[in-house]
Amino acid sequence: MSDRTHITLTVNGEPFEAYVEPRLLAADFLRDEMGLTGTHVGCEHGVCGACTITLDGVSARSCLMLAVQLDGGDVRTVEGLGTTREMHRIQQAFREHHALQCGFCTPGFLMTVGEILDTLPLRDDGEIRDALSGNICRCTGYDHIVKAVRALVNERDGVSDP
Amino acid sequence: MTDTTAYIRPKYVGEPVRRLEDPRLLTGRGRFTADIRLPRMVHLAFIRSDQAYARINDIDTEGVRAMPEVIGIFTAADFTHIPEIEAPSKMMSYQATACPVLAKDAVRYVGEPVVAIVASSRYAAEDAAALIEIDYDPLDVAVSARDALAEGAPKLHEALASNVILERTFATGDAPAEIANAPHKVSGRFNLTRKTSMSTEPRAYLADYDVGKDELTLYGATNIPGIVRDEVGRLLNLNGNQIRVIAPDVGGSFGGKGSLYPEEVIVADLARRLERPVKYVADRLEELTASSQAFGEEIDATLAFDAEGHFLALDAEIIGDIGAYSIYPWTAALEPVQVASFLPGPYKTPSYRGRVRGVCTPKPPTGPYRGVGRPMAVFAMERLVDLAAAELGMSPVEIRRRNLVGARDFPHRIGSGIIWERSGFQECLTAAEDAIDLTALEAERQRSGKWIGVGFASYAELTGIGSRIAVAPGMPMNTGTETASVRIDATGAITASFGLSSHGQSLETTLAQIVGEELGVRPEDVRIVHGDTAAGPHGTGTYASRSAVLGGGAAIKTARTLLTRVKQVAATLFDVDPERVETGDGRIFVRDTNHSIDFRELARVVYADMATLPMEKRETLEARETFDPIVGTTTSSTHVAVVEIDPETLAIKLRRIVVAEDCGKLINPLVVDGQVHGGVAQGVGAALLEELKFDENGQPVTATLADYLVPTPAEMPDMDVLHIETELPDNPGGFRGMGEGGTIGATAAIANAVADAVSHLGIGINSLPITPNKLHALVVATREPNGQE
Amino acid sequence: MMNFRLVQPKRLVDINRIAGLGRIEKTERGIRLGALTRHAEAARSELLAENVPIVAEAMAHVAHVAIRNRGTVAGSLCHADPSAEWPLLVTLLDGEIEILGGDGRRTATPAEFFLAPLVTDMEETELVTGIHLPPHETPCGMAFDEVAQRAGDFAVVAAGALVRVEDGRFAEVRLGLGGVSDTSVRAAALEDALTGRPATAEAIEASLALTVEDLEPNDDVHASAAYRLSLVPVLSRRVLGRALERATA
Repeated sequence: MSDRTHITLTVNGEPFEAYVEPRLLAADFLRDEMGLTGTHVGCEHGVCGACTITLDGVSARSCLMLAVQLDGGDVRTVEGLGTTREMHRIQQAFREHHALQCGFCTPGFLMTVGEILDTLPLRDDGEIRDALSGNICRCTGYDHIVKAVRALVNERDGVSDP
Repeated sequence: MTDTTAYIRPKYVGEPVRRLEDPRLLTGRGRFTADIRLPRMVHLAFIRSDQAYARINDIDTEGVRAMPEVIGIFTAADFTHIPEIEAPSKMMSYQATACPVLAKDAVRYVGEPVVAIVASSRYAAEDAAALIEIDYDPLDVAVSARDALAEGAPKLHEALASNVILERTFATGDAPAEIANAPHKVSGRFNLTRKTSMSTEPRAYLADYDVGKDELTLYGATNIPGIVRDEVGRLLNLNGNQIRVIAPDVGGSFGGKGSLYPEEVIVADLARRLERPVKYVADRLEELTASSQAFGEEIDATLAFDAEGHFLALDAEIIGDIGAYSIYPWTAALEPVQVASFLPGPYKTPSYRGRVRGVCTPKPPTGPYRGVGRPMAVFAMERLVDLAAAELGMSPVEIRRRNLVGARDFPHRIGSGIIWERSGFQECLTAAEDAIDLTALEAERQRSGKWIGVGFASYAELTGIGSRIAVAPGMPMNTGTETASVRIDATGAITASFGLSSHGQSLETTLAQIVGEELGVRPEDVRIVHGDTAAGPHGTGTYASRSAVLGGGAAIKTARTLLTRVKQVAATLFDVDPERVETGDGRIFVRDTNHSIDFRELARVVYADMATLPMEKRETLEARETFDPIVGTTTSSTHVAVVEIDPETLAIKLRRIVVAEDCGKLINPLVVDGQVHGGVAQGVGAALLEELKFDENGQPVTATLADYLVPTPAEMPDMDVLHIETELPDNPGGFRGMGEGGTIGATAAIANAVADAVSHLGIGINSLPITPNKLHALVVATREPNGQE
Repeated sequence: MMNFRLVQPKRLVDINRIAGLGRIEKTERGIRLGALTRHAEAARSELLAENVPIVAEAMAHVAHVAIRNRGTVAGSLCHADPSAEWPLLVTLLDGEIEILGGDGRRTATPAEFFLAPLVTDMEETELVTGIHLPPHETPCGMAFDEVAQRAGDFAVVAAGALVRVEDGRFAEVRLGLGGVSDTSVRAAALEDALTGRPATAEAIEASLALTVEDLEPNDDVHASAAYRLSLVPVLSRRVLGRALERATA
């Protein structure tokens, strides 16, 4: 089919280069070419949020981007957050609060939470809910996710849990 | 010397044990079907019907024959060796539909697979799909169930007598006569429109065929691997030992992954024919148009009652819009017949007549979905209960209190024949009422003029159903038993295998808690095997709120058998009576002695050290037991919803949901709360947002997640879950099933709350989901009684 | 659109890296937003907050965090959804759309640019390079609001207002509406009627019937025309009222 395009990028801190079809979705590139299957594809039209990654420190839907757009970029996926032995604090909080069930949407939530903790005040649960509203979870009803994020916000702000 | 008295036996059941499946799922190291890549793997895409009902004249594949990436193009003509999928039933008057794996002569819904394309990548397969032309002749069709039911309506299946493929009537007493003579009655026509499970993981299948061994492994996003194994094996003429179905991590199902799909059969067959791994991953459009759908029912119901609010009789006509095919294995009877059998609900209503008819329409097949039939039954009944309360000027709580089955009335047989065992019907109502400050809400309503509404819904459900009752009416398949096998291997490690299949239910944790507690080892040291047909001879999976009761029961029974053997071995070693041997925290010991070994030592003695034990004392450190609860358990609950409606925009804000439920003993309170929350969220969707819409030609108009709206975090209210534990049910763990209840109760409670909020306008809420847009139409209709604007 | 194979371009040019296309700057003609200005950047911009605070208010309604990070002003304009926020903002603020093509540069008013739902007057060889928001007389008040089915969904109806008051009377009134027509529209009849009237809530109330004149929204899968029409006076009152408060604060 089409010619392939050369791209170089950093994924979870490691440099990579690849030749990709221009039409290849970033999500498919990460999953199929890089083997980073933690980024999940739930809708392919930017609604469900399961494929959320960060590109140059900012969250993005990897199903709405092409792999060629990652060229020169610094990509983070859920695999770069923490490991099973040494989980990131956000992952720990999700476990403590039982904020996941089937786990399919979870990587997208974790990437979103990482960003909003850095960028938003999240003064109350309503603000947390609004900030998370681009991610769909079908199992938890969100209650435990909001509690996990509340705990993380309190830690960030030095507020003790009520 | 060890002080063995220090070994107390920790309790794991009932504790908020952190989930054992979490580390992999939180770090992107889970393995879902779509994540699996195999050498030489090829990809499958389908061309699906864009017609609701049409004859297939011609399929022109000429344009793609030359594409190098295309490995094969298959139509119905290539699958003549595979029988059509038919769901049998013992139900009288039932007609099975014949569903070919690819549409043969006609297509019967938009989304039905017509052509299968195998290519080196999914991208290439879709490129090829765009070049294939299918010539259809549209046929006359009745899109709505009511039209399809009418005399002379065009038949969707020419081979069948009519579009009505099932009909059943339940009757106790003479309800029509009772109603005719009753002092009071309320009626309504209630609709619950079609929705879909919408698990976040789309369906995905990958078949890997080992040509040398003639063995097929089918990985799949399914919650019924055992049923898939048995039926795909039958359709492809493979013995059970030649086909293994593995459900790896599965991203939710809620019923949508709980039936056999043509795609599974095709993937399996093509992997054998091509001798290459074949993978198919559905996209969201396919999920929304070709996965099983839910609800789609209309009920005309009348409830009669006396001046004190005691129910006298209930009568209902139910029409189920079952879609194009009767789904395997549950049949199309599953959903609508459950509406009729559960409609009388948790109330003492002496007379009942309910007739249900299931009608074929040119839409995707309906199948199991969280709550099965009961969301509709409870919505209709709870609306009637509130209407009755309003007619008498009685409070919604009081009328429920007067009619709910009381503690002394159990077992109680309702008009459809279901028998309720002791469960906290009244206790849940009381707890829910106590959790809501009705006086304060009423004061706020008076003070602010806001449209605030409070809605109650009480229900009961049968869960953990045993072998005496079929999960789906008339289905000739046993879903009432569960077999566990628990073994201690040569290293002393413990593995417990089940026919269940966890897809978010946390079974790797909760079953490990149970096995750990019974054997006296830590849950994290118990490995749970599920979702793999190689793990046992028979299993059907996880559905119908069965896994805690059946799986938990099997786990307890089996672990106890194994523990007996452990104690026998240890008793020989310690030279004591087996009854004196205890276990706890991974140790096997005799209290107040220095006899103490761990499971590794036990395993060494049995498996490796052939000198210590005489041969006849070398117990098999593995047990396999089957548990059958025979009938099942009764789970009961009352939900309360509080809504606030903007009088100008009619935006409906859900302020709070309270759930008071009796699910028996909690295995893990965090997990139970999570299940309730998730169920409620789907109830919120059913009540306020989610609706699959079709136009007058049967074309779906809600085929993206921008049109099919599910709740986001912003739509969900604060939730309070109250656990009421009454007398425990008669099963080994004292568990009741509870995974579906959230959806059953919340849907009706929200409908009643919205109705309460707009009661001053005289608007009834009879069709769900109720949206601001629909509410606007209702408000306009009350202002313009003649329909003039 | 590409994921559904509704659009299958032979060539796709990534404009994301063109330097300067994402700048928000003050010019002699007002404020210029480069085509690649992200929704999130517009929401954070101090320059916009000082001069057109309605932008940040509107951006809060645009989809969700990850979409606001990537989505751009030009993307929203070129998609030309009649419910979207940017088309409404440029319509309300009398903005101009700056277009670069093979024949050089041109500008288009919103009325010229938006032809129908998802249709603009762009040629295949053209590119939107930015928008100009002309200065408006101050002090004035602005407000934005919308009704959507869920947080972040496309609006069922959206409304934006700009109000300037002199000597207790409306010196200038602008009301833009989205979701009620093929393109974002201005409620000209209401604007004319209110201008010069006493700047009061009562005057606004009395003018609301004019908002729905000549509007013929369509029924669609999300909302009936009747429901959309019912929201127009409600949202109009809310945004005009808030804009008035801000204009006189």
